[in-house]
Amino acid sequence: MNYAFSITIDGRAVEVQPGESVLAASRKLGLDIPTLCYLEKCGPLNSCQVCLVKINGKLVPSCGTKAAAGMMVESETTEVHEARRTALELLFSDHVGDCLSPCQRLCPLMLNIPVMLRHIQAGRLPEASATIRQALPLAGVLGRLCHHPCEQGCRRGQWDDPAAIREMEKVITDWERSSGYSPSGKAEGGKRKAETGPSILTPAAEAKTVAIIGAGPTGLAAAYYLTREGHAVTVVDRRAHAGGSLRDVPSAQLPAEVLDAEIAVLGRMGVEFKLGAELGNPLTLDGLGRGFDAILLAVGELAKDEAAELALPMVGAALRTDPNTCQTPLEKVFAAGSCVRVQKQIIKAMAEGRAAAECVNRFLRGQAARRPEKPFSSIMGRLDPAELKAFIRNSKSGGSVSPCDRCAGHTKQEAAAESARCLHCDCHSSGNCVLQHYAQVYGADANRFRSERRKFERQVQPGGIIFEPGKCILCGICVKLCEMAAEPLGLAFVGRGFDVRVAAPFDDTIERGLQKVADECVAQCPTGALVFVENGEH
Amino acid sequence: MSIDLNLTEEIVARVGRKPEALIPILQGLQERYGYLPEDALRRVCERTEIAPASVTGVASFYDMFRLKPVGKHIVRVCTGTACHVAGAERVEAALRRHLNIPSGADTDRDGEFTVEQVACLGCCTLAPVVKIGEMTFGHTTPERVPEMVREYLASQNGKKMVKSTEELSISRAGGAEIHVGLGSCCMAKGSDKLFHALAESASACGGSVTVKRVGCVGMCHRTPMIEVAQADKGSTLYADLTPAHARALVQKHFRPRGFVQHASRLWSRVLDGLLLDDSGEQRGVQRFAMSKRDPGVRAFLDKQVHIATEHFGKLDPLSLDEYVANGGFEALRKCLANAESGKRSADQDAVINSIEKSGVRGRGGAGFPTGQKWRVVAQQPGETKFVICNGDEGDPGAFMDRMILESFPFRVIEGLAIAAVAVGAHEGVFYIRHEYPLAVKRVRAAIEQMEKHGWLGTKLMGTHYPLKLSVFEGAGAFVCGEETALIASIEGKRGMPKLRPPFPAQEGLWGKPTLINNVETLALVPWIMRNGAEKFAAIGTTKSKGTKVFALAGKIKRGGLIEVPMGTTIREIVEEIGGGVADGRRFKAVQIGGPSGGCVPARLADTSVDYESLRDLGAIMGSGGLVVLDDTSCMVDIARYFLQFTQDQSCGKCTFCRIGTKRMLEILERLCAGKASRQHLEELERLAVQVGAGSLCGLGKTAPNPVLTTLRYFRDEYEAHLAGRCPAKKCAALIKYSINADCTGCTICSQHCPVDAIPMTPYSRHLIDDVKCTRCDTCRVVCPNQAVEVK
Repeated sequence: MNYAFSITIDGRAVEVQPGESVLAASRKLGLDIPTLCYLEKCGPLNSCQVCLVKINGKLVPSCGTKAAAGMMVESETTEVHEARRTALELLFSDHVGDCLSPCQRLCPLMLNIPVMLRHIQAGRLPEASATIRQALPLAGVLGRLCHHPCEQGCRRGQWDDPAAIREMEKVITDWERSSGYSPSGKAEGGKRKAETGPSILTPAAEAKTVAIIGAGPTGLAAAYYLTREGHAVTVVDRRAHAGGSLRDVPSAQLPAEVLDAEIAVLGRMGVEFKLGAELGNPLTLDGLGRGFDAILLAVGELAKDEAAELALPMVGAALRTDPNTCQTPLEKVFAAGSCVRVQKQIIKAMAEGRAAAECVNRFLRGQAARRPEKPFSSIMGRLDPAELKAFIRNSKSGGSVSPCDRCAGHTKQEAAAESARCLHCDCHSSGNCVLQHYAQVYGADANRFRSERRKFERQVQPGGIIFEPGKCILCGICVKLCEMAAEPLGLAFVGRGFDVRVAAPFDDTIERGLQKVADECVAQCPTGALVFVENGEH
Repeated sequence: MSIDLNLTEEIVARVGRKPEALIPILQGLQERYGYLPEDALRRVCERTEIAPASVTGVASFYDMFRLKPVGKHIVRVCTGTACHVAGAERVEAALRRHLNIPSGADTDRDGEFTVEQVACLGCCTLAPVVKIGEMTFGHTTPERVPEMVREYLASQNGKKMVKSTEELSISRAGGAEIHVGLGSCCMAKGSDKLFHALAESASACGGSVTVKRVGCVGMCHRTPMIEVAQADKGSTLYADLTPAHARALVQKHFRPRGFVQHASRLWSRVLDGLLLDDSGEQRGVQRFAMSKRDPGVRAFLDKQVHIATEHFGKLDPLSLDEYVANGGFEALRKCLANAESGKRSADQDAVINSIEKSGVRGRGGAGFPTGQKWRVVAQQPGETKFVICNGDEGDPGAFMDRMILESFPFRVIEGLAIAAVAVGAHEGVFYIRHEYPLAVKRVRAAIEQMEKHGWLGTKLMGTHYPLKLSVFEGAGAFVCGEETALIASIEGKRGMPKLRPPFPAQEGLWGKPTLINNVETLALVPWIMRNGAEKFAAIGTTKSKGTKVFALAGKIKRGGLIEVPMGTTIREIVEEIGGGVADGRRFKAVQIGGPSGGCVPARLADTSVDYESLRDLGAIMGSGGLVVLDDTSCMVDIARYFLQFTQDQSCGKCTFCRIGTKRMLEILERLCAGKASRQHLEELERLAVQVGAGSLCGLGKTAPNPVLTTLRYFRDEYEAHLAGRCPAKKCAALIKYSINADCTGCTICSQHCPVDAIPMTPYSRHLIDDVKCTRCDTCRVVCPNQAVEVK
C-alpha cells in the first residue's frame, strides 16, 4: 500500500502517508498531543506514555503507533486527558527538584530571583535590570519597601543568612538612576538606542483604552502590566502627584526622587496621567465608560461616604467584585486593591493590580476575564542536611555581605559577592521544560502521589554540564543519541524497574560519556536533568 | 583485588565477539569469578564489538549478575507465591539472624554467606524452599535453619559431593525396574540420594533389576517416590522414602543370587519386621507402599488426562531410544515427508491446518490461537525465520514448564521442530531461565544426542531439511517472558519490551519473522499430530480445547503437577485432586495465573477452568500456577506480595509500570501496616485501572489484576485493614502474640524464641515482650499446649 489514506481523529479526517504515526497525523490537524520521549531522529522510544490516544478501546502511545486506513482515534477526550495527566503526575512523583525556586514562588509578583542574582554575580547589570523590570512595576520602590517574603523562603537561610534579595533590587535600581540607564523599552525618537535596556513591551494586539482610577501601588501596577499588553492607559488621581499612599512614606525610607523616577518609567512606557482630577463631578463612571473601553477602580481604602458616591454595590466598606474576575456588576468596570480588600503589603497590593490587569486584558481581548494562573512548579520541599551541604559546597561560603559604606549600599563588587551566595536551587530549564509545560496545560497535580522522595543530587561537571539525576524521567533520548553517534563511552540505563538511572558506564562521569553529543543531549533533554552551567554560577 | 584476565580472554574466545554474545559472556565471567569484576568487563569491551554502555546496561538489568564480590556460600530464599504463603519471609529472617547478616546488607561481615531472594525456584509443592549452594531444602521453617546450615557445611567440609544423576550409563538389564522420579523438586527431597542407594543395593543384589531415572511423577506431596515395576507382579508405588530404606526395599522385591546376599536378605527382613512406625500400624518398608487403587492416589490421578505429560513417571528423560519406542518423532517425520528447504509444500500448510483445527491455544497465558500464530509467520515473506521455545517460566508459583523440559526434553524438541518445519524456519532457540539448571542441562543433552544421531543440524531426522537448535540461558528477569523482551535478551540487550505491533511474527529476532511458543504448547504438538486434531479438539470446552497442566500448590493436602482437561472446575481440582485444604482450615480462594492473574474466591469455585471463564472473573489462565489459599492467607497481603513482585520485575521503561506499580505498592504497604486511609484505598483503585490501561506491555497491563480481583471479591478484608485489623492474622503490624492460661510453664517457647522476647519462667505462665517480638510464629508452632494466641 503506497498511497495516502485517511484516518479519523476526534471525528476529523486527516490524510496520512503510509508509515506515518498517529502522532504525525494529529499534528497535521494542529492537535498538541504531549510528548516527552519522542524525537523524530530517534524514532519512537515509547517510554513516557504521555502521548496516549485511544484506538479500538485501548490506550496506545501515538508516537509509536502507525496510522492504518480507517483508523478511529480519540485524542482530546476526558478519558485520554486523564490518562495523560496521570502519566505526568506519576513522573512528578519521582521528580526531584523545584521548577521555580522557593524565593520566586513566594514572590507575589513571581520575580525570577536566581536569574537576577546570576546576572549580578556576573556583573551583567543591564540584564539584571531587565529581569527585574520584566516582573516588577516600581522596582525601585519595592527594593526599599518590600517586606521580602522571598528571603523567608531562601534555602541559604537554612544554613546561615538568606541572600539579601531586596537589597539587590535596590542596588540595580540605584545603579539605573545613577548611571542614567533607562529601563524603559520605549525608545526616544522612534529608534531604540543602544544604551537602553531590552524592551519590556509586548506588541499591542489591538489598541484599547483603559482608565485606571487611583495612582497608588495597585493602580500603577495595573497600568504597568496593561501598557505592556499594548493598551492605552490613563491613570486618574485626585492628588497632584502619582503614587497614592506611597507619597505618605517618610523620605528616609523612600526618597521622593526614587518614586518620581519610577513614575517616570511608567510615563516613558506611555502611561498617561490625569492628576488632580477627582471622581465625581464632572468625571463620572458613566462618562468614563463612554470614553474608555474599560475602567479599573483602584482608589484605595474607602470611607463610607466615598463609597456611597460611587453608587456601586458594597460589602461593608468595600466594593463588591467577583473574586475570580475583579469585575463589578457594571459592565467594563473592574475594581482591585484596598477598595476591595484592604492590602497591608505594597507588593500584595501590586499583585492585586497585576491580577486585575490580567482580567481587564482578557476582557479587552474578548476572552473571559480571569486572574493569571499560578505557574506550575514541582516542589521538592525542605532539604535534608546532607543535601543542603551539597548545595553549600557549590556556592560562595560565608554569611551575608554587608556594604562597606552603609549609606551608599552595596558596591557592584559587593553585590556580586552577595549574589554569589545564592544556591541556585531553581531549575535551569524552567520555562523551557516540556514536562513543566504540559503539567501546566493538563493541570497536573505534582503532589497527587505523595511518597518519600529520592535525595536531590547535582553533578556539576568541569566542562560545564550539570546533571541532576532526580529530574531525569528516563525518556531515553540521550541514551539513544549516544548509541546513534557511537559514543566511545556513551550513556546507559543502569539497573532495572523503579531504580533505573541514566549514567555513564563503569561509574564514569556524564561528561566522559558525552564526548560527541553533549550539546545535542542537553538541547533535547525534555526536563532540566541535563543543562549547561550558566554564566555566573559555580 | 587483581583478577586473572586470561579467564576473560578464554571466555570471549569461546563465546564470541558479536553484540549477541554479551549475556553468555557475562554468564561465563560470573561463573568463573563469582561476580562481574570491572576489569573483566572493560576487557570484554576492548576485545569485542560490545559497547561499554551495553555492558553496564545489561549487567545491571538481570538478577543473576552481581557487580560486587559475594560470600563464599550463596543462600537463595525462594519468594515464589507458594513459599510466600508458607512463610518464606520468616525463614529468611531466621537465616539472616542465624548467619549474622547486618540489616541492609546481603553478606555477613566475614564474607562467608550471602543471602538473596530468588523469584521462584519452581519447587512450589515443597514450600518454603531454600537453596544453600547446590543443596535444596524443602518445607523449611525458622527452627530448621541452624540444622540446614549445619547439614550444608558438613557436606562442604567432608567434600561429600552428591553424585550427579545426569551422566548415567543406564544398563538395560531387562525385567524388573525401579523408577525413581528425578525432577528437581524430587531431588530437593532427596530422590537423587535415594536413587544412588537403590542402585547400590540393586547391584549388590545382582543384576536382575534396573534402577531407572524417570521424569516428574506429579505427586510432589509424596516425594521421593518410586515405582517398582515387575512384569509378573504389576507395580507398587512407594512414597516418602529415604536412602536408609533402599536396601530393605530392594531385598523385599528381588531375590538375591549368592548365598551371602541371601542370608543378608533374610536377616534384614527380620530386622525390617521389627521396625515399627510411630503409630505402630504398619511395619517396615511396607508402610510406605501405596496402591494405585488407594483412594487418595485415585482421586489425584483419575481426573487427569496426560498429553503434555504423556508417559509421566515412565520415561527416562534422556533416553532417545525410549522416546522413539513410545511413538516419539513419528509426528515430526510425518510433517517432514515432503518438506525441503526454501520451498513451501502443501504438507507444511496441512500441519498448520491440523494445529488450527485442534483449537489449541497458547499455554503461556494469553491463549492466542496457536495455529493462527503459525500461519502468520508462515505467510511472512523472506527466507530467514526463527522459532523460539519460551521456557522463561517466571510466574512465581508455577513450574509446569520446568517439569516438562526436565522430564520430556525430546517431546518439546519435536514440537519445536514441527513448528519450524511448518513455518519454514531453520533455526530454533530454547530460551530457558537460568534458575532451572536441570532443565537447561537436559535440553542441551537431548539436543546433543540428536545431533550425534544426525537428526539435527543440516539434516533434520535425516531429511534434506536443515534445522539448528540451541539453548539460550536467561539471566533472571521475569519480563523476558514477554516476547519482545525475550527477543531483546537473545540479541544481547536489556530485556525491555517494545510496542506491538509490529508483532514478533512480523519483525522478531534480528528483525525477522519469529514464532514464539510456550513449552507446554509445543509439548502438545506431537500428540496432536500423532493422534489427530479431532481427538485433541474432543477434549475440553467449546473455545478452550485439550488439557492444561497446573502446578497445584499452596494450602492444600495433595500438591503436585497435574494435567486436566479444560473445563474441569476449580473445585474439582482443589477438593478432589488436591484433597482440599488442611483439616480445620477453610478453603478461601485460589490464586490463578500468577502476577498477571487474580484471586478467585471459593464461592466461585464451580467455575470451569477455561480461558473465557477465568477472564470473566478478572483472572487469567496464565501459565498454570494454581496456589490454594485458606483462611490463614490474607488477601491484602497477597495483593501486596504480587505488586512487590511485579514492581521488582518491572523493566523500568514506561511510566505507568515503573512508577505506577511502585505507588500502588506503597499504598498496599500502608494498608498492611494499618496506616492507610480511605483516600488511599480510592487512589489505589483508580491507579490500578490507569496502570492497567496505560502500560506499554503485558506485564504492566496485567500487574494490577491481583489488586483488582482482591478488591472485587475481598473488599471486606481491605476495609478491615483500614480499621487496623488483619482478619487472617498475617500482617505483622496488625497482630499481637500472647500466651494464655493454658501455659504450663514448660519453657519451650522461651528456648526457641530467636529474639529473646519470652523470658524463661519455669512452671509459671510465660509472657511475650511485645516490643521485642518479631511475629516469627515460632512460639506458636512449638508450644505443646496451644497456649500461644494471635490477636
